[in-house]
Amino acid sequence: MAASGSGGAGRADNGYGSQQPRRRKGPGALATTYLVIYNVVMTAGWLVIAVGIIRAYLTKGSYHSLYYSIEKPLKFFQTGALLEILHCAFGIVPSSVVLTAFQVMSRVFLTWAVTHSVKEVQNEDSVLLFVVAWTITEIIRYSFYTFSLLNHLPYLIKWARYTLFIVLYPMGVSGELLTIYAALPFVRQAGLYSISLPNKYNFSFDYYTFLILVMISYIPIFPQLYFHMLHQRRKVLSHTEEHKKSE
Amino acid sequence: MDPNVVPLEGGQPLLMSLNGIEFKRHPKAVKSKKAVLFFEVEILDAKTRDKLCFLDKVEPNATIAEIKNLFTKSHPQWYPARQSLRLDPKGKSLKDEDVLQNLPVGTTATLYFRDLGAQISWVTVFLTEYAGPLLIYLLFYFRVPFIYGPKYDFTSSKHSVVHLACICHSFHYIKRLLETIFVHRFSHGTMPLRNIFKNCTYYWGFAAWMAYYINHPLYTPPTYGDEQVKLALIIFLFCQLGNFSIHIALRNLRPAGSKTRKIPYPTKNPFTWLFLLVSCPNYTYEVGSWIGFAIMTQCLPVALFSLVGFIQMTIWAKGKHRSYLKEFRDYPPLRSPIVPFLL
Repeated sequence: MAASGSGGAGRADNGYGSQQPRRRKGPGALATTYLVIYNVVMTAGWLVIAVGIIRAYLTKGSYHSLYYSIEKPLKFFQTGALLEILHCAFGIVPSSVVLTAFQVMSRVFLTWAVTHSVKEVQNEDSVLLFVVAWTITEIIRYSFYTFSLLNHLPYLIKWARYTLFIVLYPMGVSGELLTIYAALPFVRQAGLYSISLPNKYNFSFDYYTFLILVMISYIPIFPQLYFHMLHQRRKVLSHTEEHKKSE
Repeated sequence: MDPNVVPLEGGQPLLMSLNGIEFKRHPKAVKSKKAVLFFEVEILDAKTRDKLCFLDKVEPNATIAEIKNLFTKSHPQWYPARQSLRLDPKGKSLKDEDVLQNLPVGTTATLYFRDLGAQISWVTVFLTEYAGPLLIYLLFYFRVPFIYGPKYDFTSSKHSVVHLACICHSFHYIKRLLETIFVHRFSHGTMPLRNIFKNCTYYWGFAAWMAYYINHPLYTPPTYGDEQVKLALIIFLFCQLGNFSIHIALRNLRPAGSKTRKIPYPTKNPFTWLFLLVSCPNYTYEVGSWIGFAIMTQCLPVALFSLVGFIQMTIWAKGKHRSYLKEFRDYPPLRSPIVPFLL
């Protein structure tokens, strides 16, 4: 689900390691350098998107139809996140490949298979809703990773990552669901990405029904991820409290 | 089971100890005439370290299976199949056949218990997961109401390949059911209960998906017609026979009721000669059968089912191959897990 990345804490873990906040075995020096560069570039990219939204808002004077001003960097940097699946696969980031793949693919799905593919929804306000949620989340998330890799994580970033999701996550989910819902009639009308019988591969696929199933899947998935993040928040932020007290 | 009287193989009971002196009829008997030393076994919860059970006067040659039975007496909700007993709370489970005195424990043994959760027998799972596809496919074949629309209810396809496909699919699952009852010798009695839901969703779901298209009124028969169907049928039957031959060969490796593991070798049956090249030819033949069925029906969902099955069976074959290599020094080096020379 795309929204799982749109909270203040992108992954269902804290980004490095699925259980404890402490990493088991860090990546090597080369991998660390690469990851720092990757995360800095991504932070910068999402900052570009943030600035783009703000400038477009100030220029136009309204918050409608801002998608077009940041369409290209959004596609570029959100798609670039696919690399994170490889990071897990190669073991330089100790997260689960399956979980990361799921989260990134859902974002990419919303970017390309819904927003890009169904032009008629690009004017919808719901698009702005999830783009803003994603932008704030990703800026915090990638800077969190950057600072963690450099072993110098300001408490503010950690706090932001584990707190802002409380608002950003539902915000992002709402934006996503509303956008998919808005796309439905146009998908139906155009028969988008659908194939019907008869055909020589004896196969059929109805994208409209598929989108409805995707929307339904948010119901079991969203609460699980949300409560997991709340649980992580309690663990990570109270752990830091104790650390501070003992100093 | 009375810990003071332990039946030996063949059912000869140990003579009760007289004045602490014991006579054993077993050839591997302790030769000295010292008083027999009973063990004490305490069972602790692996997570909380709570003392769950204390057994005294346990025979030194008691097996883990027997200890599990004793444990069940005090905790009837934990039947033996769901007990995992281990020497270390985070260590590997002890095997049922392990003998108490051969374990690295003192005369007071501490075992850690972990609940494996509700268990269900392998036979039950196999029968359920295979009976489903058999039945479900037939529902689509006979076009029962609410699937294709009222004007097609209980009609029959005009394509001969559709009838052939039904025969092949049904044959495949009947074969599997019969093998489960009469051929296979399982290493484990049980598996976790949640597996039955997972497995049945997979088998039943894919069966419904495939059957829907093959038996659809708008089904398109194979592009190359009878030639394609004939070739596919040959592949399918060849692989069904092959798969069955391997199952028989594996069964004959293992005496009834035992859990022995031996290296499988080719027999007089030519279908088993694939053992020369592959550790798990049963999986190789299985994939082959489904490829045959996919060619026969020219149906994309069947091809996808074959692919997913192939991926899963490759994972299993690699695991099995690794265990063989670990267990047997003289394991034939030419063999690959599932695809000769490649995988």
